Amino acid sequence: MLTHEVSPQPPRVGPLTITLRIADASGKPATGVHVQLEANMSHAGMKTVLAFARETEPGRYSSTIELSMAGDWLILVYMTLPDGAKVKREFEIKGVRQL
Amino acid sequence: MFQLDQKSTKPVSFDLLRVPLLGKLLTMKHARTVVQIPLFVISVAMILHGLFGPVWAPKNLATTFTWVHFRGALVLVLLFAGNFFCLACPFMLVRNLARKFFHPVRNWPRVLRNKWIATALLITLLFVYEWWDLWSSPWLTAWLIISYFAAALVVDAIFKHAPFCKFVCPIGQFNFVSSTVSPLEVKVRDHAVCTACRTKDCIRGTREPAAPLVVIQRGCELALFQPRKVGNIDCTFCLDCVQACPHDNIGILSRLPAAELMTDGMRSGVGFLSKRKDLAALVIVFSFGALLNAFGMVSPVYALEQWLANLLGVNYEWPVLAVVFALVLVVEPLVLIGVAAWLTKLWATRKRSLISTAVRYSYSLVPLGFGIWLAHFGFHYLTGLYTFIPVTQAAVADLGRAVLGEPRWGLSGLAPNMVQLFEFGFIALGLLGSLLASYTIVATENVGHRTRVFSVWAIVSLLMAGSAFWLMSQPMEMRGLVLGGG
Repeated sequence: MLTHEVSPQPPRVGPLTITLRIADASGKPATGVHVQLEANMSHAGMKTVLAFARETEPGRYSSTIELSMAGDWLILVYMTLPDGAKVKREFEIKGVRQL
Repeated sequence: MFQLDQKSTKPVSFDLLRVPLLGKLLTMKHARTVVQIPLFVISVAMILHGLFGPVWAPKNLATTFTWVHFRGALVLVLLFAGNFFCLACPFMLVRNLARKFFHPVRNWPRVLRNKWIATALLITLLFVYEWWDLWSSPWLTAWLIISYFAAALVVDAIFKHAPFCKFVCPIGQFNFVSSTVSPLEVKVRDHAVCTACRTKDCIRGTREPAAPLVVIQRGCELALFQPRKVGNIDCTFCLDCVQACPHDNIGILSRLPAAELMTDGMRSGVGFLSKRKDLAALVIVFSFGALLNAFGMVSPVYALEQWLANLLGVNYEWPVLAVVFALVLVVEPLVLIGVAAWLTKLWATRKRSLISTAVRYSYSLVPLGFGIWLAHFGFHYLTGLYTFIPVTQAAVADLGRAVLGEPRWGLSGLAPNMVQLFEFGFIALGLLGSLLASYTIVATENVGHRTRVFSVWAIVSLLMAGSAFWLMSQPMEMRGLVLGGG
């Protein structure tokens, strides 16, 4: 189970902090997960932003990515669990604005 | 490599078909098919990936190749060479294969032998691009390509010659107008040879003597008779005329870009530019559409759309887009070109009607329109230059084996701030071309008050260029469905 928060709100061009909460099927925080983030714009041809997320407390992972352009972004989350299993999730950040 | 002037030995034109090796390759019997096959294979890959591959545009071949690489490469080739995309058009490969089974006998209806349908289709394409956010949808992009194949096949299976290219294809019309500023043109090397020619194979083609319905070599299917052809309008660079000419008298020669817009003589297959309202309408849509399409990618468009939606009391997009399109493609040209044409008519000693004046001078906007398209498409192409690499790597890896290596998603292209310099340069170059074109038209039209008349048309170009500079300096913003999808 994955939930996310982004800061600042509303999202804007520049550094964006993404906080992920990862839990197992029973709702218990998942620790020791290797998390990589990939941010893409909705238009082809834009630079993909890659980042790793750091575990800041059990089941809570945080990363800061640099959004280079206003518009809609797709965030792909690649997770490698401690047992080696790989899980992929995605979510959108819509309407990132230029200050 | 250079054509020689009849009276002197001074080289007057570079001839691409005289370039060693390349010239031989281009004049091979099946040269066109050879360049069409790779593009056809890429098109099929784009369709399959668009329909069955990743749903996200930056990860898909259909959207990446269509909206980043194809458009960018197209305008750059038009700038530096000519209409070579039409030469390599994969839609025509399928159509040519189909013609082995279908032998159409009908002529394209006379009433439709103009650019009105193609202009309407170009507007439709620009509209659905914004409405359905085609740039963000691999699935819709794939269907756009499929529709193109189907339309080319159906039209040219029913009607003989090449009506799809000449009267229907919106990309073709974009290329025809753009290629008026290209440095190369398919043209006659020595007109004296044509004068002595009795067979006129360049237009008629050659047929089996015993079976006149069997075509051995096509002549120009777009009705461009080489000795009287002027410029690149309606020329697909298919090189059928080169193949057909028994005297090897047709080359791909260098010329002054945009010069063909400044003259108004009779052109084979086209007629007089000043009498072609349909062609002028196409040119206006091309030029103002360049501003409109660029406007769709910057932040202020969303504020305008929201304001219009509130004004109209709607919460879905198409009526708002329709108003924006009407403002930019109808109201703005009517005001700018209408006022300029009215003042020209007022001051001119040579009396043309208001419409004829507007038509004649509207061609001067082509270089600027092309410069704006170049700036826009060039931006996406140069900033996303290498993005085809990871997308291709991922597409191949999805087939089972990563034979091209793991996708390198960090690859992009040139830095946007660096590319912005190119954008401004392209617009400035287009502005210069439009100013020169309008100046030359003023001079050749023999109007009175030349300075005044030129100033009026220069103001039109300067206003459009100013808008383009402003647009290109705005923060880019790619969003889908700001309002509802209805």
